[in-house]
Amino acid sequence: MSIPSSVTELPPVEDAEAVADEAAETAETAGVAPAPAPPVIELRNVGVCYQRKKGLFTRRSAGLWALEDVSLELHRGETLGIVGRNGAGKSTLLRLLAGITRPDRGTVINHGYRATLLSLQAGFVPHLTGRENVILSAMLLGLSRREILARMDDIVRFAELEESIDEPIGTYSTGMKARLGFSTAFHVDPQVFLLDEVLGVGDAGFVKKSTSAMNDRIRSDKTVVLVSHNGAVVRSLCDRLVWIEHGRVQAEGETREVLARYETHVKRQSR
Amino acid sequence: MTALSATAQRYLTLVLHRAYAELRSESERTYIGFFWWVIEPIVFMAVLYLVFKVIMQRGTPNFVQFLFIGLVAWRWLETCLVSGANSIIMARGLMQQVYLSKLVFPLVVVVTNTVKFAIVCLLLVGFLVATGFPIGLPYLALPAVFATQLVLILGVTIVFAGLTPFLPDLIVVLRNVVRLWFFLSGIFWDIKDFSHRLQDALRFNPMVPVLEAYRDILLHDTWPDFELLAIIAAACLPVCLAGVWIIRRFDYVYPKLRY
Repeated sequence: MSIPSSVTELPPVEDAEAVADEAAETAETAGVAPAPAPPVIELRNVGVCYQRKKGLFTRRSAGLWALEDVSLELHRGETLGIVGRNGAGKSTLLRLLAGITRPDRGTVINHGYRATLLSLQAGFVPHLTGRENVILSAMLLGLSRREILARMDDIVRFAELEESIDEPIGTYSTGMKARLGFSTAFHVDPQVFLLDEVLGVGDAGFVKKSTSAMNDRIRSDKTVVLVSHNGAVVRSLCDRLVWIEHGRVQAEGETREVLARYETHVKRQSR
Repeated sequence: MTALSATAQRYLTLVLHRAYAELRSESERTYIGFFWWVIEPIVFMAVLYLVFKVIMQRGTPNFVQFLFIGLVAWRWLETCLVSGANSIIMARGLMQQVYLSKLVFPLVVVVTNTVKFAIVCLLLVGFLVATGFPIGLPYLALPAVFATQLVLILGVTIVFAGLTPFLPDLIVVLRNVVRLWFFLSGIFWDIKDFSHRLQDALRFNPMVPVLEAYRDILLHDTWPDFELLAIIAAACLPVCLAGVWIIRRFDYVYPKLRY
C-alpha cells in the first residue's frame, strides 16, 4: 500500500487570490521592483509509483515509479511548459497538479487554487442532449449548476451549436461533439489550467478559432501548465519550460534554452 | 462549515444528474425504453410463479402477492449491490480526468436503482389493491421499512464498491453470494413454515425481517416489528460508515490502480 503523503491545503480559494492581488498592489504602490509572483502549487521531491497488476499466479514485481523525484514551483500568471518523451511522466505530473492523485513520496503544496485538467468531453453521455451534457461535464470539471447556466449561452455560441443544442449528442457528428467538448472545458475557466496537448479541435475553421481562443487565454495572466510535443507551440506560448526525463527534472528554465537542449537530446537519441 | 456544505451540495447535484443521465440512457438504449424497468421484474416474477405455483404446486394462499412483494424488495437490493460493486472499476476513465470523491459512483447506482424500485413499487401496490389487499393504516410504517432496507443496501454496496478495485475476483464471489442470499431470504417460502430454532437462525439474515415487515404491512394489514427494524438499521449503519471510510481512505489510490 502506498505511504500516505502529505498534501497541504492552504487558505481557501478566494482568499488566496485576494491576498496575492493585494500583495502585488502593495508592491506596485511602494514603487519596489515586482517580486517573483507567489507560487500557486509547489512540488517538493515528489515521486509517484504505480503498482503493477498482481495476481496469485503472476510474479510480484516492484512498482513502477512514473515520477522519481520532481521539484518545481508553479507561479501565478505564468505559462509553464512541460516537455519530455513518451512515458517520461508528464501526464502523471499533470494529474498530481490537478489533485487527481497524490504522491507516494514528497509533498505537493497547493496554496488554495483550483487546478483543472482540461478534459474534453469528460463524462459525455450520448443519449442526453447537448445542453444536458454541458451541465454534466462542467459539473464534473468543478462548476456549480448556477455557474454553468450563467455560461450556457456563451458555451453554445462558441461551439456554434445553437441549432442542435437540444438534440441528443448521439446524433452529432464527431466534429460537433469535439466543438461542444472544447467549448465546455474552455468556459469552465479554472484558476489554473492544465493542458495535455489539447489545442484546437474540429474542422479547419474551428481549429483556428479554438486555437486562437486558447492561445489568448494562455497569453493572458492565467496560470497555465502546458504539456506539448510541439516545439513551435511551446516556444510561442511558454514563459518557462521544464524538461522531464525518466521521472526526473532534466532541465528547467528559459523556454528557448531548455527546448534547444531537449531537442538536441531527442535528435541524438533517435540517431 | 459552509465550504463543507457547499461541497456536499455540489456532490448531491452531481449524483442526481448522473443518476438522471444513467436512467435516460438506459431507457433510450432500447425500443420500449423505461417500460423494461416494469416488464423485466414482471417476467422474472412470472418465471418463479410458473415454477413454484404451477409446476411444483407449492405455495400458500395468496402466494402470488407474497412472492411479488419479496421479489420487488429483493431486486432493489440485488441491482444496487451487483452494479454498485463494479461502479468504481467502471469509472476508471473518468477518475483519470477529474478529481471526484469516489463515493459518487456507488451512490449514483443506488439512486438510479431506487428510482426504478419506486416505480415498480407503485405498480405493486396497484396490483395488491386490485387483487383485494386494500391500503391500510400500517402503510404509514412503510418509510421506516424503506429506510431500513436503504441503510442495508448502502452498507453492502459501498463496502463492495470500495474493495473490488483491489480484488476484482470479488465480483465473481459476490455474484454467487448474492445467489445464496436470494435463496436464504424467504422470497418464495414463508419463514413461519420452519421450526422456531431455524426461524431464529434465519432472522440473522437482515433481508428476512425486512421482507416480513413489508408483508405485514402490505398483506396482513398489521404493523411491522419496529424494534427489529431498528436493530437492523443500527447494525447496518456501521457497515455504511466502514464503506465510506474505505472509499475515502483510498480516494487517491483508485485512479492509480491498473485495472
